[in-house]
Amino acid sequence: MLIFTLRRLNLFLFTMLILSILSFSLSFLFPGEQIINISGQINATPEGIELVALEYGKHESLITQYWIYLNQLFEGNWGVSMTSQLPIYGEILNHLPATIELTMTALFIAMVTGIPIGFIAAINHRKKADDFILSFAMIGYSIPIFWLGLLTILIFSIQLGWLPSAGQISLLYEIKQVTGIQFIDILLSDSPYKWQAFQNASSHIILPSCVVALAPATIFIRLARTSMLNVLDTHYIKAAMAKGLTFQQIIYRHAIRNALVNVIRDVGLQFANLVTLAMVTEVIFSWPGIGRWLIESIYQRDYTAIQGGLLALSCFIFLVHILTDFIYATLNPLARETHRGPQ
Amino acid sequence: MNILDIRNLSIKLLTSTTPILAVDRVSLAMKEGEVRGLVGESGSGKSLLAQAIVGVLDDKWQVDADRFHWRGIDLMRLSVDERKKVISKDVAMIFQEPMACLDPTTTIGAQLEEAVDDEQLTGYFWQRKQQRKLAAANLLHKVGIKHHEVCTKSYPHQLTEALCQRVMIAMALAKRPILLIADEPTAAMESTNQNQIFRLLASLNQLKNMSILLISHDLENVTHWTNTITVMYSGQFVEAGTTQHIFNKPYHPYTRALVDSSPKANMQIPMKSRLMTLPGSIPILQHLPIGCRLGPRCPKAQKACVQAPKVKNYHGHQVSCHYSLKGSY
Ligand SMILES: Nc1ncnc2c1ncn2[C@@H]1O[C@H](COP(=O)(O)OP(=O)(O)O)[C@@H](O)[C@H]1O
Ligand code: SF4
Ligand SMILES: [Mg+2]
Repeated sequence: MLIFTLRRLNLFLFTMLILSILSFSLSFLFPGEQIINISGQINATPEGIELVALEYGKHESLITQYWIYLNQLFEGNWGVSMTSQLPIYGEILNHLPATIELTMTALFIAMVTGIPIGFIAAINHRKKADDFILSFAMIGYSIPIFWLGLLTILIFSIQLGWLPSAGQISLLYEIKQVTGIQFIDILLSDSPYKWQAFQNASSHIILPSCVVALAPATIFIRLARTSMLNVLDTHYIKAAMAKGLTFQQIIYRHAIRNALVNVIRDVGLQFANLVTLAMVTEVIFSWPGIGRWLIESIYQRDYTAIQGGLLALSCFIFLVHILTDFIYATLNPLARETHRGPQ
Repeated sequence: MNILDIRNLSIKLLTSTTPILAVDRVSLAMKEGEVRGLVGESGSGKSLLAQAIVGVLDDKWQVDADRFHWRGIDLMRLSVDERKKVISKDVAMIFQEPMACLDPTTTIGAQLEEAVDDEQLTGYFWQRKQQRKLAAANLLHKVGIKHHEVCTKSYPHQLTEALCQRVMIAMALAKRPILLIADEPTAAMESTNQNQIFRLLASLNQLKNMSILLISHDLENVTHWTNTITVMYSGQFVEAGTTQHIFNKPYHPYTRALVDSSPKANMQIPMKSRLMTLPGSIPILQHLPIGCRLGPRCPKAQKACVQAPKVKNYHGHQVSCHYSLKGSY
């Protein structure tokens, strides 16, 4: 396990290095002055620009510039937004938690619905249920997300009036920010309307997270189905059958865990996809997350914001990836790789 | 009295076009306490036959038989589930490739414990877990694994192939089977380990009077341990008889070739001379010859061989060949 952790850590550092280099080079690739792109000081006087240039080591070699950029990143100086002149770092801290909340909820929904349905399909292989689930997955996967988002708003918010269509929580509730993750903040707060606020926030997250979850859930259906079919075809399932275990025992004791191991491995990969869907959904549902903020920045050609937002989002995606890797390793003894020879 | 009596068992592989007859009317009988070898080249359908007996073939295979009796019970009359129940109570199987037959994400101990029958446990349900543990440890001792604590905590990939095979045998013993089917139990093992496994099986046969169907692709390897041998080739029955008969006086050209190609039977031939072998190799499932499937490789083949031969019985020595070698001894 130690070696596994070290290996992941190594991968993490290396990927962070690449990401920061990418982010740094973006400031050169975007149109306009590099020093303005990187700092966001769009209204500064020539003297002010010169000061900023000194601060970023503009007159040194590229390597030194990159090094200074890294130091700035760690100090929390990510530049200011070109449009609002607010510090990017603060903006990201404000917006990222909402996205974390939305994507994590969506991932959870996608997994707890998609994986069992996929297993059911595999167990009923070559039967009606399997065909039905597969075609459902196909349709679910091909529905465009913006259309689905608008459709759900039309049905559940406007016609039925069951669920709110915009925002993260009703403006009536004032929640003090502690961690940034709203649900946790609500639970931490000492407001007398804590539970109402909690309910309100829950009803706000249902629609957008379900919309985000649909396509990944269909992918999980297919992954889980394939994985379960492979497992059911293995020798150890046959051997368990010969042992005299019932089909249910085989499924619960052996098949599910082994199939799950293979699905978990791919969750990390699917997560990037899910974040992209979440960005679009945030716009539709006016969710105050980093995706919406980033898309707005793209519209406004706010290069500094784009740069910082991309860096933050990709770090987040990568962290989740590593996290799923660890879950995979705890489930799968083969990935942990320690050899022991009794006798 | 035969405990297992199989007459003309066929296994078809159902494909999108015509079904392929992978095993073609093979008969097999086992007496109580007997060790029978099932021998044939790789790809002769030995594993298929064994899996058909224990009923673990999936639904792309179709199994038919004229007669399939287990201890007097006609299994063909039972439903699939009932058949499985009867068989899995008394028959245990150890598969080829032991490592692949153990669940990689579950510890050996847990897998052993679940093989222990509920009927063997006596205590109340809160005592059962402990009893299962004990039973698992005992099983490991029986197959000669002394340090059971280390073994039960390990995952399959942490053990060697030979240890896994012992664990598989221990699992098979858990339900105290009357018949043990061992599918190439020593394949890919060093010869010292091979002998240990064979000796273990032989002692189980003698102490528990357990019948064993010992499957192997190597005739010579099993002759020392078996009473009787059945030979198969490409899914067809070839010859069955006592080990002495099969090894010393084979009636079938294929068995003759197997014996001739084994070094032990050829101690007297000069060093570095060529061993007799049949030309060619076993046909693949998609291109099976009609009639006697040995035809294209058989030194004695004649026109009649395009018809599959009938099994002839000479005092319990059965052979399936139009031109058997019986007259040549
Ligand atoms: N799952 C399978 N799908 C298709 N063909 C198979 C399968 N398993 C075995 N066969 C074929 O059936 C024949 C008999 O296989 P098998 O019983 O494993 O032979 P043996 O155990 O004697 O080496 C071989 O030709 C093999 O290619
Ligand atoms: S039946 Fe013919 S082809 Fe088959 S083994 Fe006998 S002689 Fe050879
Ligand atoms: Mg085999």
